[in-house]
Amino acid sequence: MRQIDAALHVRGESQYVDDVPPPEGLLQAAVFGSPLAHGRINSLDLTAARQVEGVLAVLTAADIPGENQIGPIIADEAMLADGEVHYIGQPVAIVVASSRRIARQGVAAITLDCSPLPVIVDPKEAFGRNEIIGVPRTIARGDVDAAWADCDLVLEGSCDLGGQEHVYLETQRSRAIPLEGGRLRIHASTQSPYAGQRMIARILGVPFNRIEIDVQRLGGAFGGKEDQATQWACVAALSAWHTGRPVEIVLSRAEDMRMTGKRHPYRSDFKIGLSAEGRILAYQVAHYQNAGAGADLSPAVLERTLLHSTGSYAIPNVRLFGVSCRTNLPPNTAFRGFGGPQGMFVMECAIARAAEAMGKPVAEIQRLNLLGAGDHFPYGQPTGSDYARTTWDQAARSYDLPAIESRIAEHNATHFETKRGVAVMPVCFGISFTTTYMNQASALLHVYSDGSVGLSTGGVEMGQGLHTNLAGIAASALGIAATRIRVESTNTTRIANMSPSAASSTTLLNGNAVLLAANQILDRLKSLAAAELDLPGPADVSIADEQVLVGGEPAGLSWTELVGRAFKARTGLSAHGFYATPEIHYDKATEQGSPFAYHVYGAAIIEVTLDCLRGTYTIDSVKITHDLGRSLNERVDLGQIEGGLAQGLGWVSLEDLQYGPDGRLLSPALATYKVPDAHFMPDDIQTNFIPIADDTNAASNPGPYGSKAVGEPPLMYGIGLFFALRRAMRAFRPDLDLPFVSPLTPERVLMALYPEGHVAFPPIASAVEAAHER
Amino acid sequence: MAQQNITIKVNGTDQAAEIEQRLLLVHFIRENLALTGTHIGCDTTHCGACTLILDGKAVKSCTVFAVQADGKEVLTIEGMTTNGELHPLQEGFMEEHGLQCGFCTPGMIMSSYALLQENKNPTEAEIRWGISGNLCRCTGYVNIVKAVQYAAQKA
Repeated sequence: MRQIDAALHVRGESQYVDDVPPPEGLLQAAVFGSPLAHGRINSLDLTAARQVEGVLAVLTAADIPGENQIGPIIADEAMLADGEVHYIGQPVAIVVASSRRIARQGVAAITLDCSPLPVIVDPKEAFGRNEIIGVPRTIARGDVDAAWADCDLVLEGSCDLGGQEHVYLETQRSRAIPLEGGRLRIHASTQSPYAGQRMIARILGVPFNRIEIDVQRLGGAFGGKEDQATQWACVAALSAWHTGRPVEIVLSRAEDMRMTGKRHPYRSDFKIGLSAEGRILAYQVAHYQNAGAGADLSPAVLERTLLHSTGSYAIPNVRLFGVSCRTNLPPNTAFRGFGGPQGMFVMECAIARAAEAMGKPVAEIQRLNLLGAGDHFPYGQPTGSDYARTTWDQAARSYDLPAIESRIAEHNATHFETKRGVAVMPVCFGISFTTTYMNQASALLHVYSDGSVGLSTGGVEMGQGLHTNLAGIAASALGIAATRIRVESTNTTRIANMSPSAASSTTLLNGNAVLLAANQILDRLKSLAAAELDLPGPADVSIADEQVLVGGEPAGLSWTELVGRAFKARTGLSAHGFYATPEIHYDKATEQGSPFAYHVYGAAIIEVTLDCLRGTYTIDSVKITHDLGRSLNERVDLGQIEGGLAQGLGWVSLEDLQYGPDGRLLSPALATYKVPDAHFMPDDIQTNFIPIADDTNAASNPGPYGSKAVGEPPLMYGIGLFFALRRAMRAFRPDLDLPFVSPLTPERVLMALYPEGHVAFPPIASAVEAAHER
Repeated sequence: MAQQNITIKVNGTDQAAEIEQRLLLVHFIRENLALTGTHIGCDTTHCGACTLILDGKAVKSCTVFAVQADGKEVLTIEGMTTNGELHPLQEGFMEEHGLQCGFCTPGMIMSSYALLQENKNPTEAEIRWGISGNLCRCTGYVNIVKAVQYAAQKA
């Protein structure tokens, strides 16, 4: 089945928020953001802004009729700054005008008098000053303190992992339309319509049912519109509330990059202990998460970091500590992987350091310690699966890892200016919201009397292919063509209390809700068909290919005829399905439980060639073995794998968020913040899947039709690039103790290769001569 | 602000308007003509979502003034179909699943169009260079490259 919106996309007919023809009298809003990263507001001068011709309203915290609060987990985030500012770009005032240009002129006319306060950008510094958010968390298993004595080798190290800007190509935007009776309808680009509804109701002081959020589709999100879309929906809503007219806000790329939160930078310290053979006996890590100025989703992100801090490995003694640290950056937020990547990255750094110290191949230590079917995660959940090893071994075998290794050894022995590296990156990623109650979803399915179907769920289409999956699920369940199914916009008046489209769980949750709704309708239609066909009961009745079958044989009754008769027989042709993932739980007091429905596994082999004179590099290939289950749509799933990989590769290589000591983002545009393009991505990306018959992981998988989550896990394959590069760098400079600092931009690679600051030191100079002689 | 009369042939039809001289071409296309298939992604020529064809060449319309297009011909994504028939590139992006959220798709198709105008039979490397001024954040470009190859073979 083709992507359900493909025909619209290629004609340019898909409508994003501001592509919908503007309603009469549509106004535009722009936001004045704090110029300082931390300060006390003395005065805010709005006079000049109000005098700009075409400006209709200038709104501040004082104009919020309800509560000035939009923090999703902890109430620590004002919608508009009041008294103090905590990061550069923090919304302080809204200008509403007849055009976007005039609104921005109004913003430029605002002056803020502010007394500077100390700025913190480093999470460890924040921790040192006790600037923490929520409570520090520790997951422990075994006795790590006692275990060090049993280890033949104990090593410590530190990692400095950069953040990541989402770069959804469609920037944040929202359009609010006043309705009768003080209601508002908001067309928002959000992964979390319910969060938008809840927060708008909160700032306006009205019941939830006065606020309708409608979402057709998103031009990308990747976690950046999970809770960070709420702010802009609130801006549009508050502006419409005050002016009584429709109001739209569309952020420029510069505004979006400056004002919104990103993937969390982490600073982490690890300690790892191994046997002489290479078995990891003990592992301890402390993660200092750079949460930014407000909690946003940081505590939940931190939780997932801890739950993924041992990666794909079985380690008997662990202590995993993490703390969210308050700094003066925009509140950092969800980004594909949701803290998991950072936890896994640090584990891989520890293994790399150990392998380097022991003179063993990294892959040997990795393979030796992979999770097995009888192992438990540090939080107590059994793996129940041998998939960490199955996927690794299939990747190594099907892509001939030994041959890759020998090609690289050969290249490095015969080339001086370029060195090649390879790394294997195993992935084990838990599927479910770790906040158990969020694992619920609803679907509303209407069969119209002409046989066409309208389907609503709480899931948001953001390019991940959700609507394609849902239409396929409904079509299979009802036995009809997918073309009969219209997947409607996501709307809070049709689906209440929806969880965000996140945690790789959107198809799992909403797809199961669709099945539950479809099966109700199917039961009613089968009973009716049995009556129409004079059968004793519906047991032998099924519907396939739009025909009613009895005992598998066509009974001469089509879907449309059946539906038409059902309508006249006064059969309910609408159904609501509600799904909650069974058997998941987590106890934060003991840090033990089974928070995940199951885990997705895989392994990727990444090869890179490094130009050791320039620091530039080419990714030669990425070869993946992935645990996909029974794919609902293999092209959609492959697209998710390749796209996730691209973001993971970008995170550890090109994408460099640099902040000045004053908290200012120094790479606030796509000119300075580089994301992977078609040329950067390798030509050679291969993916194969574990045979479904071998699926030891299937029993616990509640995915619709045996499908598995695929949104986030592939991102972490990209981490392998860091270690492939590290290996190439070490081939050039085996004498150096390379730091674990990500991203490895070409600039950072070059600086690391030449810490002396120049090229012509003796070992290199002689090697250059040798190379020239060849 | 200074106004100017312009006439641009957009997708085969002359469009005359009196506009502000500093109006950007992308705003003219999106707001004055309501052709919203051309998107704005970065405002600074880096992402390519606003790519359209101006007198046969691909330009990023977020950094072209509408007055610069006066007397010229513009082709946008809306003009790619002929009598309802999809262009081979549109077909390619659809058949090869060269799209996910769809936001970059029109610009990607227009850049590919310019590439194929210049080079009817590009190698994979030439395709990758040809579309390297267009960012897609959803895919890994694998199927976008295939979509262009599909169109090249078909044409």
